[in-house]
Amino acid sequence: MTHRLQTVLRHVQVSQPQTDLQSYSTAASLPNRPDDIVIVSALRTPIGKAKRGSFKDTLNDDLLAAAFKGVLNQTKINPADIGDICVGNVSDPSAALSARLAQFYSGIPPEVPIYTTNRQCSSGLVAVLNLAGNIKNGVYKIALAGGVESMSTYGLGAPKGIVFNPRIGESQLTQDLLLPMGITSENVAERFGVSRQDQDEFGFNSQLKAKKAADAGLYDEEIIPVSTKIVDENGQEKKIVVTKDEGIRPTTLEGLSKLKPSFKDNGTTTAGNSSQVSDGAAAVLIMTRDEAEKRRLPILGILRSSAVKGCPPDIMGIGPAVAIPLALEKAGLSITDVDIYEINEAFASQALYCVRKLGIPIDRVNPKGGAIALGHPLGCTGARQIATLLHELKRRGRRGFGVVSMCIGTGMGAAAVFEYPGPAQ
Amino acid sequence: MNSSFRTKSRHGYSVKFSPYMHNRLACVSSQYYGIAGCGTLYVLDNQPNQIALTQIYEWNNGLFDVAWAENNENILVTAAGDGSLQVWDVTQQQGLLKIFKEHEKEVNSVDWSQTRNEQLILTGSWDTFVKLWDITQDKSLATFGGHSSIVYNVSWSPHVPGCFASCSGDHTLRVWDCKNPRSCAIIIPAHDEEVLASDWCKYNEYTLFSGSVDGSIKGWDIRNPMIPISYLQGHKYSVRRIRASPFNGAILASASYDFTVKLWNIQKQICLQTVENHSEFVYGLDFNLHIPGQMADCSWDELVHIYHTEPVF
Repeated sequence: MTHRLQTVLRHVQVSQPQTDLQSYSTAASLPNRPDDIVIVSALRTPIGKAKRGSFKDTLNDDLLAAAFKGVLNQTKINPADIGDICVGNVSDPSAALSARLAQFYSGIPPEVPIYTTNRQCSSGLVAVLNLAGNIKNGVYKIALAGGVESMSTYGLGAPKGIVFNPRIGESQLTQDLLLPMGITSENVAERFGVSRQDQDEFGFNSQLKAKKAADAGLYDEEIIPVSTKIVDENGQEKKIVVTKDEGIRPTTLEGLSKLKPSFKDNGTTTAGNSSQVSDGAAAVLIMTRDEAEKRRLPILGILRSSAVKGCPPDIMGIGPAVAIPLALEKAGLSITDVDIYEINEAFASQALYCVRKLGIPIDRVNPKGGAIALGHPLGCTGARQIATLLHELKRRGRRGFGVVSMCIGTGMGAAAVFEYPGPAQ
Repeated sequence: MNSSFRTKSRHGYSVKFSPYMHNRLACVSSQYYGIAGCGTLYVLDNQPNQIALTQIYEWNNGLFDVAWAENNENILVTAAGDGSLQVWDVTQQQGLLKIFKEHEKEVNSVDWSQTRNEQLILTGSWDTFVKLWDITQDKSLATFGGHSSIVYNVSWSPHVPGCFASCSGDHTLRVWDCKNPRSCAIIIPAHDEEVLASDWCKYNEYTLFSGSVDGSIKGWDIRNPMIPISYLQGHKYSVRRIRASPFNGAILASASYDFTVKLWNIQKQICLQTVENHSEFVYGLDFNLHIPGQMADCSWDELVHIYHTEPVF
């Protein structure tokens, strides 16, 4: 009868049944309410390389119009039904005008209002959160959020000729606001012990994951092909259709380890473990659940909670580590309840610090790669991450939770929790 | 409302409500946790203040599963550790009517057909085979080979005549047509560990569930066996038995080696309730067909419990 004993022992001697299941969420779905904010469409343009890529001659209004049109075409909603539009952008001095232009280019009538918002790298996410708040307040039921950044046109976001108040030098805290972002990355790496090798590996993995995802067509559902014009080296203008992200490139860990530090001697932050300078736009159509159901629009995601929280400006990269716990707490979830974390890779140093600090299983972080591979068009990024997250949750086909988070220059973090409700019944 | 019965010195393996009498159930059990020794079949009646013992039958090997006949309220079939099946008439003190002995190893599962015009039974055995029987005949009608390890559970489709599912220690769930014993119709690589439990949805002919040593339960659409349609996690150890509710297509119950019974909403993929009545492995579990919400379970802690789940399904 020893074989019976052995059989029963096999049933209880599975080595830690939880471990190979860790990539699945165990949290129960949160209760559904008719006034839940739901996302019915989230799409983005391909991300182009700034100054050298396909969008080097495409302006913000055209990029944004492409994203708006994508969402309108996908959902077939009457543009006049949109209650408000909010666009995240960081560096365009005439952002309000660019946004209104994009609205008209995409066929949204003048009766629909629009405004822009700037909370630096989180602007694309904050645009969604602003509108969601207004929907909750009953101002309107349907809203269109967007994010756009042509870094080809406006550079890294610090326009020249700004006059600073001399008082900015009076305290360390105010002085720290002038630190280049790369230095804040060096600060995080130094203070919290994120080694050069760790950062290079993180950057390498981002490239690897993005390449695999692109090769497998995992970005296809979130990308809208964009027809635009480009001026070639002979000064000739020609028409092109952009369909693929341009920042993904073959690389090796050895190659990355040879790169020189970009921001200070003996530093650890390099071009290979930082986000790329890019052009792109994204759009997210949100509404109440009952509105989506009335219109029979499939629900791609439900906004479950959000948080924005400040942190010291000289280590602004730790932002996600302060914002994510706050957002999860509001949603009543724990770190392991979330299937996918889209944490913006401004720098490998800060992204990796946040992942370690929060104890997030690394296989749940940016499964299709992040800004190190794709690029980080500042105002677009938050909305781009929502598109990337929700389409990946949908592809996996299982109800689950996802988090979008990023650090914010001047010292903040933003995070939002989304739930993918599973395939429509 | 809740009542219990002690199967003294016997460890519970399976419990089934009668399809005819709302208060009757059968429980099979084994001495020494089923590792060695005898088996006992209890026929129990749930009375207002207690569970009364109506009949008790002994077999000289462990009894692992039991099924009520669908065409006679007094007939029971049991599956035994010595590879045999017993047919019992519960109206008689010496109830044993017939013995079948073909399986070469322990019979782990027995199921009586629920579709009309068929009075056939299935058995699944540790010898890796499934057998089809008509208890009026002397020999089995067919033998189904294909599994490469213990067949833990067999269950007739409640919808499609002649169709049944089996699950095995070879990590697969299989769907068969009993007219074709040579090959199974569908093989589902359901889990990365042994699959101990399976059951059909009573409301959708294509939906099948599996429970595994990995602690999870998965739902399957047999038309697309590559991806599970639901995934339920929560049991800390192996899922031993699962039962789809006869009253609500969204409800599933599971019994586990983690001493608990859980109720699940399979559409929302959430655990609705955890029943912690036992202090040992829970092996047997059943819904009462006549009383919505009433369930019974049995465990290695020598206890059979009948209870109502809240909210009542």
